[in-house]
Amino acid sequence: MFSPEVEAMPRPQIEQIRDEKLLGDIIPWAYERSGLIRETWDAAGITPKDVQSMDDFAEKVPFIDKDAIRSYRDRHDDPYGGLLCIDPADPTMRGVFSAIFSTSGTTGDPTPAPYAGRGPSMLVREFWELGTRPGDHFMHCLFTFRGPGVHETIRGIGATPVFVDHQPEDIATLLRFSRELRPTGWYTLSGPLVMMIEHTAAAIGADLAEDLAGYKGVIFAGEPIGPRARAKVEGWGLELFIQTSLGDVGAATECAEHDGCHFWEDCAYVESLDPLGTDPVGDGERGELVSTTLIDKVAPLIRYRSDDLVRVTHEPCACGRTHGRSWPLGRKGDEIVVNGVSVLPGDVWPAVESVDETSAALFQIVRTGREMDALKLRVGYASEGPHGLADLRTRVTDSVAAAIGFAPDIELVENDVLLRQGPPHKIPRVTKG
Amino acid sequence: MANAPGYEDVQGAWGVGRVVVDGVITPWPVSQADIDDDIEAAVPQLASLGLTEGGLVLIVSLLSHAAQVFPFEQAAGRLGALYSSSDRSPFDAYRCASLIRQLRPSVVMGIDHRVLDGLEDAGRDLAEVFGPVPAVTAVDHDAHARLQAAGVDARWWLALGPASAVQPLDDDALRYDAARWWVEVDDSEGDLVVTSLTERLTPCARFRTGARGTIPEPGRLLLA
Repeated sequence: MFSPEVEAMPRPQIEQIRDEKLLGDIIPWAYERSGLIRETWDAAGITPKDVQSMDDFAEKVPFIDKDAIRSYRDRHDDPYGGLLCIDPADPTMRGVFSAIFSTSGTTGDPTPAPYAGRGPSMLVREFWELGTRPGDHFMHCLFTFRGPGVHETIRGIGATPVFVDHQPEDIATLLRFSRELRPTGWYTLSGPLVMMIEHTAAAIGADLAEDLAGYKGVIFAGEPIGPRARAKVEGWGLELFIQTSLGDVGAATECAEHDGCHFWEDCAYVESLDPLGTDPVGDGERGELVSTTLIDKVAPLIRYRSDDLVRVTHEPCACGRTHGRSWPLGRKGDEIVVNGVSVLPGDVWPAVESVDETSAALFQIVRTGREMDALKLRVGYASEGPHGLADLRTRVTDSVAAAIGFAPDIELVENDVLLRQGPPHKIPRVTKG
Repeated sequence: MANAPGYEDVQGAWGVGRVVVDGVITPWPVSQADIDDDIEAAVPQLASLGLTEGGLVLIVSLLSHAAQVFPFEQAAGRLGALYSSSDRSPFDAYRCASLIRQLRPSVVMGIDHRVLDGLEDAGRDLAEVFGPVPAVTAVDHDAHARLQAAGVDARWWLALGPASAVQPLDDDALRYDAARWWVEVDDSEGDLVVTSLTERLTPCARFRTGARGTIPEPGRLLLA
C-alpha cells in the first residue's frame, strides 16, 4: 500500500476523521461560502448549528443534485452553480485556484468544475496498487478536460507519465510507446478504446500480447466492461482494475483482490440510500450513492444524490484495507420498467456484446418514460455480418430476449453513429424516444 | 484542498511528450527545468493575446501535446488568470462551444480544422461561437482561413517542434522566445528549423519544424 497507515486504519479512526472533517470543517465552511448550499439549507430551515452529529446529518441535511446545480447556474448566471467557495480575485488564491475543468457532459452541458491545489491526488494509492514504482514509465491516456491532477499524481509516485490521446488516431502510437518505453501502469482504458485497439492492431498487424507485455495493471473506467470485452483484454495479458465514479467527489477503484471498488473514507462520506426515498439501505443492498466531500473546500458537494445505483459494503477487504467498497449497478435515470420488469443497461450488455457484429456493446435504451410497454434498443454494429442486417437484427433480438425474458425492438445503426455521441470514453446509454 | 503526499524522491523526466520528425511521431522527454523555462517563455506570449489578471484562457489541445501546452497553463496563473481545457477533436467541439458560452474566456488557443468540422457538423455558426472571444488562435491554415472567413480575426499558435510561436493581437508576425530558441530558414528546402539555446533534457539542434516562413528579425516569424 502507498499509505498503509491510512488505507488500513481501524474503522473507529476512519469515523473519527470523518466526523472531524465533515462536522467541524466542511459543513460550516460550505454554508458560509457556497450560494447553493446556503440557499438549500435555508430552504430546509437548518444551519450548521443544527448538525452536531452524524444522526443529525442523516436526519436534517437536505440533498442536492445535478439539476439543482444547473438550476442555480441558470438563475444566478453563475457558471459554478453556486458551489464556488473561494474568491478568484483573492490574491492569496493565486496559484491555488488555477483552472476550471468540466464534467464529461454525457447527459447534458459539461458542468464547469473549479480546480484548486497542487500536487498528487489520492489516486496515488490506486496507481501504486497497479504495481508501478518510482522510475517506471506510466501511460497517461486521457483527455484534457480532467486537468493536471492525474499527471501530478503519476509524478507523485515517482513515475514518469507518457502522454497519449484517448482517441482512435493515437492508438498506433499508444501501442508503439507501450512497446518501446514499457510503461507499467495505464490510466485509463475504456470500452471504446478496447474496440479501437482491436481495430488498429488488426490493421497494422500488431502483436498485442507483446506490445502490452510491460503493464502490471490497467485502470478501466468510463463505463462497465462486459464479460466478452474483459476476456478479450485479459487475453492481451492485461490485469484490469475497474474504477467507478464516486458521485463527482472522487473515484473508487478495485484493488488486486478485485472484490469491489475501494472509496477513500478520509476523502469522502458515502451513503447508500433508497433510490426513491431517503432511508439508508443495508450493507450490500442496492441503493443510490449519495456523496459528500471531506476534502474539497473549493467547490464542496454535500449530500449529492449521484443518480448512481450501487451496492456498498464497509466490511474490510481481503487486501487488508478497511475503507468501504462499492459495486456499480447502473444509473437510476437509465432504468426503465417494461411490463413490471426493471431493465438497466447492464442487464442487456452481455447479450449485445455476445453477438460478433455488435461485440463493442455500443447500444442505447430508447426511453420515453420510466414505465414502458416495450424495450426499444438502438444497437451499433461493426459489420452487417454474413447474412445481412435482417439476420443480424434477429440474432441480437434473440440474444437480448434470452437475457431479460422478453423480445426487444432493435434498431441497428453503424458504430460510428453512437461513438460520435461520446465523450471518447463512453456514450449516453439512454436516449429520448 | 487536501492533496495526497507524493513520493519523496521524484525521479526521471517531467514527462514524455512528443514531436513529429519528418512525419514520424517521436517521444520527447522533457525535464522540470525545461518546463520551468517554457513557462517563462509562455508568459509574454499569453500577455500578447490580451490575457490579464482575472481573465481566462481556454486551451484546445490534446493530452499528447502536454509538454507544449502545460507551460501555457502555468503561464496563465503567472498572469493571475485561469485556464480551462477542451480536446482538439470534432467529438469534443461541443465542449469548446459550451465552455466559451459559460466561462466567457478572453483568449481561446488551439483551434484546428477538426474542431471547426465538429462545430459545423453540429450546425453551429462559427461567428456566433467565436465572435464574443477577443482573441482566438488557430493552429493550421485551414482553421485560420475558415475563422477569418467567419469574421473572426484569428491569430496563430504555431508549434515549432518543442517550442511555440504565438501571433500577438498587434503584430502580423508570430513571436517566439529568441533568448531560448534560434529559428532559421533552411536554405535548401525553405523550412523553418529550430535549435535550443539552453540546455534541455532532449537536445534540439536544427529541428525541422515542417513550417515554412521567414525570420525578419530574431524573435519574429512570418509564415509563408
